[in-house]
Amino acid sequence: MLVYVLKRLFYTLPVAFGVSVVCFLLVHIAPGDPLTSVLPPDASAQLQADMRKIYGFDRPLIVQYGLWVLKTLQGDLGVSIATGRPVAAELRLALGNTLMLAVLATLIGFVLGCLFGFVAGYFRDSWLDKLASFVSIIGVSVPHYWLGMVLVIIFSVQLNWLPATGAGPGGSADWAWDWVHVRHLILPAVTMSVIPMGIVARTVRALVADILSQEFITGQRAKGLLDSGVFRHVVKNAAPTALAVMGLQLGYLLGGSILIETVFSWPGTGFLLGQAIFQRDLPLLQGTILVLAMFFVALNLLVDVVQTMLDPRVQRA
Amino acid sequence: MSSASFETIATEGTSPGYWSGVLRRLGRDPVAMFALLVILAMVLMAVFAPLIGPADPYRGQMLRRLRPIGTPGFPLGTDELGRDMLTRLIYGARLSLLMGVTPVFIAFFIGSAIGITAGYLGGKVNTVLMRTVDVFFAFPSVLLAIALSGALGAGIFNGLLSLTIVFIPPIARIAESVTTAVRKIEYVEAARASGASALTIVRVHVLGNVIGPIFVYATGLISVSLILASGLSFLGLGVKPPEPEWGLMLNTLRNAIYVQPWVAALPGAMIFITSISFNLLSDGLRSAMDLKS
Amino acid sequence: MSAPTSARTLSPAADASALTAGPLLSINGLTKHFPLKGGLFGQSRGVVRAVDGINFDVAEGETLGIVGESGCGKSTTARLLVDLISPDSGSVILGGRTLGVDLTVRDLRRQVQMVFQDSYASLNPRLTMQDAIAFGPMVNGMARDKAVALARDLLARVGLDPGRFAGRYPHELSGGQRQRVNIARALAFSPKIVVLDEAVSALDKSVEAQVLNLLADLKAELGLTYIFISHDLNVVRYMSDRVMVMYLGQVAEIGPVDALYAAPAHPYSQALLAAMPSMDPDRRTMEAPLAGDPPNPINPPSGCRFHTRCRQADGVCSVTVPVLHALPQKGHLASCHLHIPGSGHTGAAPRRELAP
Repeated sequence: MLVYVLKRLFYTLPVAFGVSVVCFLLVHIAPGDPLTSVLPPDASAQLQADMRKIYGFDRPLIVQYGLWVLKTLQGDLGVSIATGRPVAAELRLALGNTLMLAVLATLIGFVLGCLFGFVAGYFRDSWLDKLASFVSIIGVSVPHYWLGMVLVIIFSVQLNWLPATGAGPGGSADWAWDWVHVRHLILPAVTMSVIPMGIVARTVRALVADILSQEFITGQRAKGLLDSGVFRHVVKNAAPTALAVMGLQLGYLLGGSILIETVFSWPGTGFLLGQAIFQRDLPLLQGTILVLAMFFVALNLLVDVVQTMLDPRVQRA
Repeated sequence: MSSASFETIATEGTSPGYWSGVLRRLGRDPVAMFALLVILAMVLMAVFAPLIGPADPYRGQMLRRLRPIGTPGFPLGTDELGRDMLTRLIYGARLSLLMGVTPVFIAFFIGSAIGITAGYLGGKVNTVLMRTVDVFFAFPSVLLAIALSGALGAGIFNGLLSLTIVFIPPIARIAESVTTAVRKIEYVEAARASGASALTIVRVHVLGNVIGPIFVYATGLISVSLILASGLSFLGLGVKPPEPEWGLMLNTLRNAIYVQPWVAALPGAMIFITSISFNLLSDGLRSAMDLKS
Repeated sequence: MSAPTSARTLSPAADASALTAGPLLSINGLTKHFPLKGGLFGQSRGVVRAVDGINFDVAEGETLGIVGESGCGKSTTARLLVDLISPDSGSVILGGRTLGVDLTVRDLRRQVQMVFQDSYASLNPRLTMQDAIAFGPMVNGMARDKAVALARDLLARVGLDPGRFAGRYPHELSGGQRQRVNIARALAFSPKIVVLDEAVSALDKSVEAQVLNLLADLKAELGLTYIFISHDLNVVRYMSDRVMVMYLGQVAEIGPVDALYAAPAHPYSQALLAAMPSMDPDRRTMEAPLAGDPPNPINPPSGCRFHTRCRQADGVCSVTVPVLHALPQKGHLASCHLHIPGSGHTGAAPRRELAP
């Protein structure tokens, strides 16, 4: 087992390396002199010269990459052009907010998804199945940013039950687990949960239908629809894959939160990304993407290992 | 939703009668046929926009901005610059569909080429190609699209480029997987034993059997691409104002939700309808492909 | 099949075998190991020694049968013969020319063709029978219309009416018919040798008999040489002139089929033949002839690979690897210490002293 973990870790390293190269090159594929991407347009000549030296823009690409990696490993992700603050500091704050949102959304999505998926798979081809499947297909087809807007229209604008934007009264960055703050979390989390709900539902449906068709003939099922033995068997066999899917969905949400966070002005990494794009703040863009991508890679590895621990038959190449 | 994997279909039964059988089965699926109709309607709407659209999509009058649905002369209301929503929605189909379908289309060709080459040649070539693909696959798709678009800058071309790059890896992976499965079958071995070149074998024996499953997989990606493409425009990347495009319209109408909420929600509804239709069609296609049912 | 009769009456060419200057095909020290990847860096964790230094000859016009349990290396050997897999070491010598030296892979493939076990998987589901057969010749330079004419001619030869079958697809044919097409496809190259890898094993018995007869007829008509791989000992006896018994990637015994079946020398061959169900109530098998588990091709036993399951194993058997040694009967060889004089086995004859 430990060997497997180490092996997977070892295979992840080249991928992580590749990811870092892609992130590094982002600044360089931007049109124009890379220097203008990392500095405000009115920077002094002295500042430009300093930056050129720090980033090493006049050195060969490999050296630049090396310098960048070294800086990153030391925690220095550059300085945001717009705010002048270190990127790492901005990220730390934002990451916590996004994690909160993404974890909650994943949990909601997972629970609902399992529910719908199980019902659909258990009562396969019945009207319950069609209904549950329809709900899950909506989940994967709806543009979630639009759904967010619709929910805001219904619950904020028309009914005025929940706030439309921000993470707290006055859009504060300090969080507390009280109703005043949590009510800001509800709409974005529910909106975000729709995609994992859809995907988990579809996966669970397929799993459940598959497991049931393997072991049990209709006669046995007619005996006890909610026979606890059957239920436990299904859960035991479906759990590893379902949990793996949930883990991956968490990763996607972490990485893809920008759309929802933009709609709700939720101060997370996605929102930060949106700002960075709008202001053409490339150090912030680059740093955020690097962190999020690495998070995703690490999460993938974790999911892989946990899945194999739970079900040794599964070994993803 | 079927349990038949793409590998099974590629290896087990793609004789010439197979695909006509698939289409026939698909034709008997009411949900899929309805979805197909909706898609066709959208396409026709996009193609004949100048003939159907009642007004000019670019001209608006600030005096009549944000009128509600059902306003005489503006059946679906007006947007924040006083332009007719119905016309903008109809014209919006053009760019939205273009940005949604084109990346998948191009990625289908490039991804298939990469995957089939890696799958057939195996060994070091496979490792190099697929590891590179894996690096891009290691990014969540939204993040990669935004990273590339963000770095390249806004614009239709940059948006198309970013999205194409996002969709190449998943297609390449499926193509490699399917090709590797087919390569092991005896008729490919017999072809190799005949002394044919790799290119000939791929052309005669491999391509016909793998391209179908890969294509069906690619069509399943279109709905995601639509949402992602509109999402890019929603963020200010991709399509730029004043072009009509559903995602961009959602962006510019965001603040209008306090004034004319349902008008502001209309473009998203269009994206939703189109996306779900593609999904239903794709599901129907996969069910029809299932050899066991 | 009861009362197996030799196929010699159907292939008179075999009686005149060994008249040519040397064997048509000569295999020396052929070895193929498949590495097992594992461990931290994907390094090799050992190898599957699928084929481990085998030697045998095939004379022109004969049928050499190859038998053995699953995992003995029969199929790997077959694929090595047509260069679908490259050997790690050893040589393939066809008509006096050595593969890789003065014989190209292309030439080898034109002279040695193969028929696989799975008749359906052997055919591209998207090609008509005629196109499937014509593919080989076209690839080797024949014009399309000539290749198609050849294909139709071959279909007739294997007993399928081209008018009815040329335009059909694999799923429209029965197993036996498909296998005939596969044979036709192999023949399209006008090969000298056809390797039949379990070619009839998947067919119904009645169909099997028809295809076997077809093979015998074709061999006589076209002067072919067959390498007939099977696990069915009766069929092998029916078809072959000589037979080679393989065990764990090595040759255990090789010799004329009737002699070997009547008096197998290697204990493994004895056990294999004794395991054949007999129709004679007086020759019932009372106990399992083979003891122990089938061994692991990754870690084969030391010395003679069979010694862990051999009733006649002696001390030397776990130490020294026995080589293929000629027995007193002509053309019959076995790799067993029992039959190697002076090997050190208690049952072996003493080494013949050299005349002073």
